[in-house]
Amino acid sequence: MRRRFGLLLVLPVLAAGCASMGVEPWERDVLAKDEMQLTTDEIEAATDDHIYFSKEASSGGRGFGGGGCGCN
Amino acid sequence: MSRKDKLTISTALAAATCSLLGTSLPAIVDAQEEGDWDFNTSILYYGEDNDRVKDYSVSAIAKRMFVDDRILSLGLTVDGLTGATPSGAIRQEVAQTFTRPSGNDAYVVPAGELPLDDTFKDTRVALSAAWQQPWGDRNLINVGASLSKEYDYLHLGVNARIARDFNQRNTTLSAGFAYSSDQLEPVGGAPMPLTPMLDVGDTSNRSGDQDKDVLDLILGVSQVINRDLVVQLNYSFSQSDGYLTDPYKVLSLVDGTTGDTLLRTPTGPGVEGPSHQFLFESRPDERTKHSVYAQAKYYMNGKVLDASYRYMTDDWDIDSHTVDLRYRIPFADTRYIEPHLRFYTQSEAEFFRLSLPDSQPLPSYASADYRLGDFDAITIGAKYGWKTRNDKDMSVRVEWYQQSGSVPSGQIIGNQAGRDNYPDLAALIVQFSYRF
Repeated sequence: MRRRFGLLLVLPVLAAGCASMGVEPWERDVLAKDEMQLTTDEIEAATDDHIYFSKEASSGGRGFGGGGCGCN
Repeated sequence: MSRKDKLTISTALAAATCSLLGTSLPAIVDAQEEGDWDFNTSILYYGEDNDRVKDYSVSAIAKRMFVDDRILSLGLTVDGLTGATPSGAIRQEVAQTFTRPSGNDAYVVPAGELPLDDTFKDTRVALSAAWQQPWGDRNLINVGASLSKEYDYLHLGVNARIARDFNQRNTTLSAGFAYSSDQLEPVGGAPMPLTPMLDVGDTSNRSGDQDKDVLDLILGVSQVINRDLVVQLNYSFSQSDGYLTDPYKVLSLVDGTTGDTLLRTPTGPGVEGPSHQFLFESRPDERTKHSVYAQAKYYMNGKVLDASYRYMTDDWDIDSHTVDLRYRIPFADTRYIEPHLRFYTQSEAEFFRLSLPDSQPLPSYASADYRLGDFDAITIGAKYGWKTRNDKDMSVRVEWYQQSGSVPSGQIIGNQAGRDNYPDLAALIVQFSYRF
């Protein structure tokens, strides 16, 4: 259990370490493209979450997705 | 679609959202100051081999942008499900008779075949609504509600998420929760755990409706590394409480030496009922899951690699690893092809049992649901996307999903050794999407 709470502490540390990375606002041309968004196709992502929630014992991760049905 | 049609749909969608979010219609209508609706629609076919589950599904997400980057998002999905699903009972060298979940009828599974329950037929309607808006200079909040209804299941959920930008918007921290309250209304009533499948017409071991609550929490950080690379790391916690058993799954009660399912005779002449002894499954009424999800998107001269990994562990003793890879290759200006590979592996739940031997006392919890077993799965496929003449996005994807599992050798008794004990699964997924 301690290891799991440890993870919560790691996130802000990572965030602090990230301060030296990144781009200037005028360098966001590539990152602004549709295909560079973390989720490019919402319906496809929701479909996959739903299928795998129904057929496997794991769900979520990327977001909450998958639940809300009697299929598992 | 004409402008007038779009407005009618918009008004209907706005009214549906208002009822989901519990707000009054005029407030939303007043906010329609500029912008237009954006529709993301899809038709899906999901079909398993050997006459198992088939799902025909249509989905739509409608989005409307208001001033100040406020976004209303509405979703609708309708699923039509048919087909057969493994009941949990094991194969036998003789035919087996089962009482249907309704308790009103019986069906026979031929000798040597995997027992499938072919009563599975359902229509599911799911609605969702979400409102997103900036809060202050660096925060983005998102609140939503969801509802879905099947013949034997009702889901109601709410969720909220807040994201805050740091470091010239190169770092985003987010936190969110989702809570759902679901009600199960199993056909024929929920069976008492580990009680036997009874004759047709005998409902003495059935109880009424059941419910379950699920609380999900998520913490995440996303980071722009450089002009071509962005990464994300999420931690999720999920707590389920209530009726987590599958009311339609059973286990075979077997002879401790031969491994064959014990015979049974219906209680009277002219009475239909199970030919063998089957017990309804039993799962704990609590489950806690933890997962870590990492994703990277990397732009390489027009091509985009999307790679993610998820580790999940829970207090049912299931651990899983998932790797998902997509590689988008553009060509001819407005077209792309995106191969997709996904690998999944999970260990079995501590209470997974192929069958229950009569030589041992009954455990508190037991399930033969293959989805709680030890298996690997692979998805392989590709998506092809293009722009239409009027600059709309269309795509079609075709994927093949294959599961293959195994039963722990210590659980295989006598004659079970020579049988195919794990119901492997193969499914074809075809999805057509159109955005306008």
